[in-house]
Amino acid sequence: MKALIVDDERLARKELMKLLEEHPSIEVIGEAGNADEAEKMIEELNPDLLFLDIQMPGRTGFQLLESLDTVPMVVFTTAYDQFAIKAFEISALDYLLKPITAERLAEAVHKVTEKDRNKNGRTRDKKLGLTDQVFVKDGDRCWFVGLDNVRLFESDGNYIKVYFDSNRPMIHKSLNALDEKLDERAFFRASRKHIVNLSWVEGIEPWFNGGLMVKLRGGDKVEVSRRQAAKFKDMMSL
Amino acid sequence: MLNKTRLYYTLQIGGWSVYAIVQIVSSSFASIREISSQRIVFLLYETLLCLLVTHLFRFLINKRQWLSYGFPRLIPQVVLSVFVMGMIVYVLRIPVALPLGLYTPVEAIDLTVFLGQSVYYAIVFFIWSVLYFIYNYFERYNKSLKLEASLKEVELNNLKSQLNPHFIFNALNSIRALVDENPVKSKEAINQLSNILRNSLSKDKSILTTFDDELKVVRDYLGLESIRFEERLKIEYDIDPESYTFQVPPLMVQTLAENGIKHGISRLTSGGVVQIKTRVEDDHLKIHVRNSGTFQFNPSMDGSSGLGMENTRQRLKLIYGDEASFRIITENNNFVVAELILPHIYRK
Repeated sequence: MKALIVDDERLARKELMKLLEEHPSIEVIGEAGNADEAEKMIEELNPDLLFLDIQMPGRTGFQLLESLDTVPMVVFTTAYDQFAIKAFEISALDYLLKPITAERLAEAVHKVTEKDRNKNGRTRDKKLGLTDQVFVKDGDRCWFVGLDNVRLFESDGNYIKVYFDSNRPMIHKSLNALDEKLDERAFFRASRKHIVNLSWVEGIEPWFNGGLMVKLRGGDKVEVSRRQAAKFKDMMSL
Repeated sequence: MLNKTRLYYTLQIGGWSVYAIVQIVSSSFASIREISSQRIVFLLYETLLCLLVTHLFRFLINKRQWLSYGFPRLIPQVVLSVFVMGMIVYVLRIPVALPLGLYTPVEAIDLTVFLGQSVYYAIVFFIWSVLYFIYNYFERYNKSLKLEASLKEVELNNLKSQLNPHFIFNALNSIRALVDENPVKSKEAINQLSNILRNSLSKDKSILTTFDDELKVVRDYLGLESIRFEERLKIEYDIDPESYTFQVPPLMVQTLAENGIKHGISRLTSGGVVQIKTRVEDDHLKIHVRNSGTFQFNPSMDGSSGLGMENTRQRLKLIYGDEASFRIITENNNFVVAELILPHIYRK
């Protein structure tokens, strides 16, 4: 598994490298000293795993994740940050408190390996498929969401509402830009306002003006415009 | 409270005993003929009456809470009371004085004698009242002073700088990595960290510490941060030798240096400078903590920074009144200076 260490302190990176020597399954492919460096390296090297410090000069670790289209698995590393810990206790894969102990790191590596095994089919192409995950932050709360859990994207001004479970946090992106990144075999642009996850579609009904009404598992209903309806029928039929 | 009651009884009984002795001795000197045993009995009875009357008077004072009255209300009441008490004592001494044959009934009901003796007793009781009220006012004033001092101490302790846990754990993490790379330096770092921890944990609640001690903590603190930030942090000292004659609130300069790191260096990708500069001018110590960065006063974003500044200000106010000052100066948008001006003398 390819890992990238992101921390502004050289000694902190060195210490983690040293600790990771015990875990041959993790191959450290690079170190970044700030968010900008990290963003570049993530694009070039496409790591499976990030060890990410939160407080860094320039952009924070959270801001880095928000700017990524798809996020690798993330293990946060932090010295003491009660707010951050609260935020990612909800959904982060794991977090390590500095100074990191060997036992705690082993646990984190174990979790990561488990998760990686389940996600074996992860696509390597640039399009975002169901096995990818995104990082969503809304105020104080943040989530790592697998795209298979997202049933609907809805545009709302300059933001996109992301529907998953009972949450609808907003991300600052345009629906068009997102549409281009998503794998068209998994996600369908139903109208100017909506992108639906095809694996969540439960029923289809004819609607006015030759459009369609799509019912999603969980009860959400989305209108497919006339222009897209034919395309949608094509995709859904064998 | 128990002590105060006991003190009252001691003074009350002791005081009146002294009064009785003085009366007996002075009347034995004053009279040419030898003092009669009847007269001694009478004087003892008189003293006992005075003691009981003033004791009842104290009961009245406590019950009506005269101590809380202002002087304009208190003085007329006391004057009236001592006259009434004087007359009571005069009337009560008649049943004893007559059988003892010290007065004739005609003398006893003579208006001039009655008024003269009552005024005499009234003056004695007035002196008693003055002593009683002076003691109680003094005691009350003392108590309120003590209360004020303890409140101030509590407040100061709350405002006292706390070491930032983020700093401690980051320092420990850096030291852990340094153990392999540079064992000598890591040992030094452990000493620096223990010095800082000792200073911040010390139960000694002193309000001020010597400038020398404070500077040592600041040096240790910045030494540790430079391990963490490496070439990103440059530290400069420019210390006026006169500074060492001053005392400063403990950890106050360290807090300013920590803010400089937190809001300055740690946010700059390429790092910057922290400079500690002191000057003594007009018997005042001027401390400048200067750091690269821009000052953003934004309490909603980071409430802790605004709170830290307010804490510093309040601490200075409590310790020095209006004689110390603290402000933040920005220099051409590239540097932020925290300026502290402290007087030489600390007034309690």
